[in-house]
This record gives sequence, structure tokens and C-alpha cells, in this order.
Amino acid sequence: MTTEDPKRSSSLDAPRDIGAARLAKVYAQAIVDAADRHQCQAEVLEEFTQIVEDVLPRVDNIASVFESPRISTSDKSALVRDTFSEKVLPITLNALLVLADHGRLGLLPELVVALRRELDRQAGKREAVLTTAHPITPDEQTAILKSVEGSLGESLTAHFSVNPDLLGGLVVRIEDTVYDHSVSTSLVSLADRLKQRSINEIQHRRDRLGST
Amino acid sequence: MKFNTDEIASVLREEIDRYQSGIDVREVGQVLEVGDGIARVWGLSGVMAGEMVEFPGGVTGLAFNLEENSVGVIILGDYLKVNEGDEVRSTGKLLSVPVGDAVIGRVLDPLGNPLDGKGPIATDLERPVETLAPGVADRQPVREPLQTGIKAIDAMTPIGRGQRELIIGDRKTGKTAIGIDAIINQKHSGVKCFYVAVGQKDSSVAVAIDVLRKHGAMDYTTVIVAGASVAAPLQYIAPYSGTAMAEHFMYNGEHALIVYDDLSKQATAYRQLSLLMRRPPGREAYPGDVFYAHSRLLERSAKLSDEHGGGSLTSLPIIETLEGEVSAYIPTNVISITDGQIYLQPDLFFAGQRPAMNVGISVSRVGGAAQTKAMKKVSGGLRLDLASFRELEAFAQLGTDLDAATQSRLDRGYCMVELLKQGQYQPLDIVDQVLSIYAGTRGHLDDVKRDEVAAWEAGFLTFVRDQTPEVRSRLEETKALDDETERLIEAAIAEYKRQIQGSKKPEPTLAGTT
Repeated sequence: MTTEDPKRSSSLDAPRDIGAARLAKVYAQAIVDAADRHQCQAEVLEEFTQIVEDVLPRVDNIASVFESPRISTSDKSALVRDTFSEKVLPITLNALLVLADHGRLGLLPELVVALRRELDRQAGKREAVLTTAHPITPDEQTAILKSVEGSLGESLTAHFSVNPDLLGGLVVRIEDTVYDHSVSTSLVSLADRLKQRSINEIQHRRDRLGST
Repeated sequence: MKFNTDEIASVLREEIDRYQSGIDVREVGQVLEVGDGIARVWGLSGVMAGEMVEFPGGVTGLAFNLEENSVGVIILGDYLKVNEGDEVRSTGKLLSVPVGDAVIGRVLDPLGNPLDGKGPIATDLERPVETLAPGVADRQPVREPLQTGIKAIDAMTPIGRGQRELIIGDRKTGKTAIGIDAIINQKHSGVKCFYVAVGQKDSSVAVAIDVLRKHGAMDYTTVIVAGASVAAPLQYIAPYSGTAMAEHFMYNGEHALIVYDDLSKQATAYRQLSLLMRRPPGREAYPGDVFYAHSRLLERSAKLSDEHGGGSLTSLPIIETLEGEVSAYIPTNVISITDGQIYLQPDLFFAGQRPAMNVGISVSRVGGAAQTKAMKKVSGGLRLDLASFRELEAFAQLGTDLDAATQSRLDRGYCMVELLKQGQYQPLDIVDQVLSIYAGTRGHLDDVKRDEVAAWEAGFLTFVRDQTPEVRSRLEETKALDDETERLIEAAIAEYKRQIQGSKKPEPTLAGTT
């Protein structure tokens, strides 16, 4: 379980660039498979996460360097080799070098999201966002997550968020499916049913009047 | 209808008692980009092709393109209300429209929302907009006539119930008028009519609705409007939703007539959608499946077998050509799908021949099966005669001296052309049509001056109605032209001729003389 971390975006949000997300997924599958042979999937993910979240933001203009066509791939490879050799696992270094060779170093942020999702998928874990109307305590979070996992029969990587518009209740989103038990949605559906009932009433009376 | 307060409270109380807080389960996605009536959505991984999706604010959409990473959605409604990042939810339903008696007499948009300000459509009957056409086993051959009330059409290109007859021609050649006349003529036939206006000026649609109302045709007609100002997705689905409403009657053993005015505009709207969705363009930039868009629509017109109630849906699709170009992509497609076409020509129109139907290339592939016996007998050979007359006419213009036989054939041709002229919104009863065409084809009009044919015809029909009603009643009863009936008609014509010779000018007329 993870609590809401503003820096780490949920993979349930739409990617900025679908094409990049699609490419990153292919690289992520390859990297996860390669890491699987060396039994170091978690470490590789951790290293990629650190590179993207801790290292890259400290280097000015690094994104432009990665994306610039004026810097040759061999220069980029040399840069990666100089920076990371001996500091990361060989698998991670090789993956970075492959990315550099293919001119795809710009994909790193999307790659981390894809890696996390791929590992979750392999572990049978699904990502969930639980939204409540009011902030809740960590104890409550654990209890709610346990109960949701119990009723769905699967383990979840959970993020919690708050949306006062819900008025009350809980909304659980697991991948593309939303289980909505919020007060606001219930009110809307109640209104719909009342409206439908009035229409039926009008129709019923009209039919009755028409038949007599 | 007024509700009293107690009633509303009781409804509420009951509702609250029965209220169970169920969990609302839905599948969602997120709008990546939106514009020009379409949206690209991330997520919605389980959505079906053609499924209805909902944007915030009640705007509906239709899943149109299912791609590996995104879903292309066409927005049926105001796409300016949809924003990037909005949540899109799938509904698990196909797009449906209200159907049944509640839609009759109404003016609706393609989603079934009223546009005439006469309140909501009070019905819980719905039909999916896209359904499969009835199969071969569910059909029977077309044989009942659907009278359009237009002499030229009922005599030469008869339309049967369940047939698809294309009306094709340039702009301003009277295509819509034929559709409207056909609707007006269904007044006493019990056929429910649907007029689907696609991509037209709202002013033209208002005129059409006004005409229908003035002639009492709105009592059995539904108008589905997707004007030129609405978004392309609505123009694209309008014919399908109109068909869904009409099909309801067909599947309930009733008869329906639907006029699509016009399908070239629908094809243009579909082209716009497809190009925005980045489907590859083909000939004339139309997508590859534009043929299927029209064929699956028109295949839904059918005459059902008796086991299925024997209902029928007749369609009159309209196609507008540019400069008479029938070999363009959409016209050839629709010509090949339909069971015949009525071809209207501007030169005939401006020469005063209205309806401006080119007899030579207008056909009905159902043919005589969809005519009453009487009409079949009087009009047999009329089409070929007129076609050969056109040939002779061209020859005669060279100014050569003609022998008497040729001259008389020419005269007969001119006379028939005059006789087939008919005013707008003046559909004729089938019995009157038989009488007129009988008089013409049997040569009784040969001695009438060309500019007096219309007056002669109107006078004759009035005469038969007033003075020899037994001829009409016999024709109405038997619907056939046996020897006795022929004898009666001959006698009536002779008597009428005797009377007008006696008076200096023809009798005052009741029916249209234009």
C-alpha cells in the first residue's frame, strides 16, 4: 500500500503521450524479462525510479540532451556509461545503453510507470485509487483496503485521494473499472429514477385515458 | 397533467423506502483530446464498438474506433462542453432511440429528443439505432404497391412496399418534392411516414414540415432533423435512428415509409468523421466502408414474411448529383444497392415537365409486381413508348417531313408527356391515375390541343367523380381493368367529350390544373 505521494503519479492517469506509453511498455516488458533471469526485478525498478525521480531532476537540460538529434547516440552512450557504470546493476546499465543506442532515453519517465505496471501485473497486483470525501487516517486506510481486497479477492497497490464533491462514501477505481459507492452518485441515480417514474406515470395515464 | 403534492410525496416516500444503496460499477476512461465532434479517450479498455459512452454533463458519445491504446469516440451533442481530462464512462448499452406511437407527429433530433417544443416523448419503448437487417428467410417478395400519387412514378416506375427506390438528380430538380408528395399520399393508406432531413438548411426543413402540416400529413409522420448546423456525428447517425423508429412499425406488422433526404450529405458527414478519426481515405476521400454504411442502412428496408407479421418498410433515399454526374462514387454505390431509381433532370425541369423524371433511365427493379392489375394494364408499354417518342422527337427536330404514322406517334407522345405533368403536393388517387392514363394511352386525347390536356384531364376526372361514380367504384372494388370496366370507361369518355363539345369551353375544374 502506498499513500498519496504528489511526486509519483498514478499509472491510472492518462499518459501525456500515448505513443510514448506504448513504446515504454515494450521496453518495460523486455527489461522485466531480462531482470527476471538475474532475479533482480525489484532492484532494477528501484534503480530506474531513483534515476528518474532523484538523479535526472538535478541535472539541468537533461531532457533536451536526451532528445537532441545534434548529440550523437555514441556521445549519449558514453555519457550514460560514464555516469552510471559501477553505480548501478549491470542489467540497468545495459538497459540504459540500449535506450541510448535506440535514441529513446527521453522515454525514461514513461518507462518507470510501465515497469511498475508490468511488475504489478506479473505479481497479480492491480493498481487502485480509493477516493473519499474527507481525509482518512492511515488506520482507516488499512481497514478500508483490507475490506476492498477481501471483497474483490485480489491484492491491490492502493493510492488514496480526497474529493469533497463525493459528499460521502467511497469510490474505488481499479484500472478502468470504477466501483462507485458515493453519496453524490446515489443522489443522481435517485433523481433519474424519480424522473423515469414520473414519465411512466404520465404515459400510464395517457394510455388509460386513450383506451377509454 | 398536474400532480398534487400528496402524490409526489407518496412517490418519493415509496422510492425512499425501496431505496437500496447499490454500488454503481462502471468502466471509465479519460479524454486525451477533443475537437471537431470527436474525442480520443484513454482507458475504456472493455468498451464495445458502437457502445454508448457518457461524458460529464450528460453528453453522449459513440465508441467508433477501438485502437490499441485509445478509443476514438464520436460526440453526439455539444462537443464544446467536453474538456481534456474529463472522465468518460461506458454505459454497456448500444445507442437507442424512443420508438412507437409516441414519436408520430413529432419533430425529433437523431437521438430522439424533441425539437418541436411539444414536451418530452412519453414512451419507454426503445430500439437500438444500429440493428441487423432481417435475413433472407424472414422476408417475402415485394408485391403490394405503395402509391406515391404521382402518375409518372406509379405508372412507369412503381414502388412496392418494402422496396428501396432511389431518387437521384441535380440540385433543384424536385427530389424532395417527390418524397413529400409520397408522404402526403399516404394519408388514407395507414402507412407511417418518416422524413429524415440530413445536412439541409433548417429553413428548408421548416418549409417541408409546414407543407406536411398543411396537408394533414403530420398526423402520421415523424420528422428527424440533423440540419447543416449540427455536428457531423449526428448527421451520420440520423438515417439509422430514423430507420430504427420506422422498423418498430415494420416488426409490429404495420407498414412504414422512410425518406432519407439526402444520403450524399450523410456520406459527407461520415467522410468528415472518418478523416478526423484518421481512417484511411479511399476514392473521393470517402472511407473504405462508405458502401457498407449505405448498404446496411438500406438493407433494413424489407417486406417481412407473414410469419413475422407481414410488415414492411419502404425507403426512398435521395442522392444529389453534381452536374448530372451519376458515375460519381456515392451515386453509383447507392444505385447498386437500391431496387431502382427515379432520375430527375434539370433540363426537363426547366422545360416545364414536372416531375422532371427521365423515363429512359428511371427504372424499378420490382416492376409490375408492385402495381394493381388495372394500372399494369393501362401503363404497360408506356415507358417504352415514351422512350421511343424521345428518340423520334430528336429526329423530328431536324425538320424533315414526317409521314402521317410518325406524326401521330409524335402527337401521342406530346400528349402523354403533357398528361404525366403533375403539380406539386397534388397526389392523385390511383383510380384517377388509371382513368387519366387510360384516356391517354387509348388515344382519346389525340384530338385535344397540347395546352388543353391538363384542363381536359381535370375536367374528365371531375366528370367521372360526379356523373359516373359507378366507374370509380367498380375500379376501386376490383382494382382490375376487365372488359366491363373498360366499356364503362369508354362510355364515360364519350359522354364527357360530347358534353364539352356542347359547351364552348371546358367545365370548371376541381382538381389541379397546373
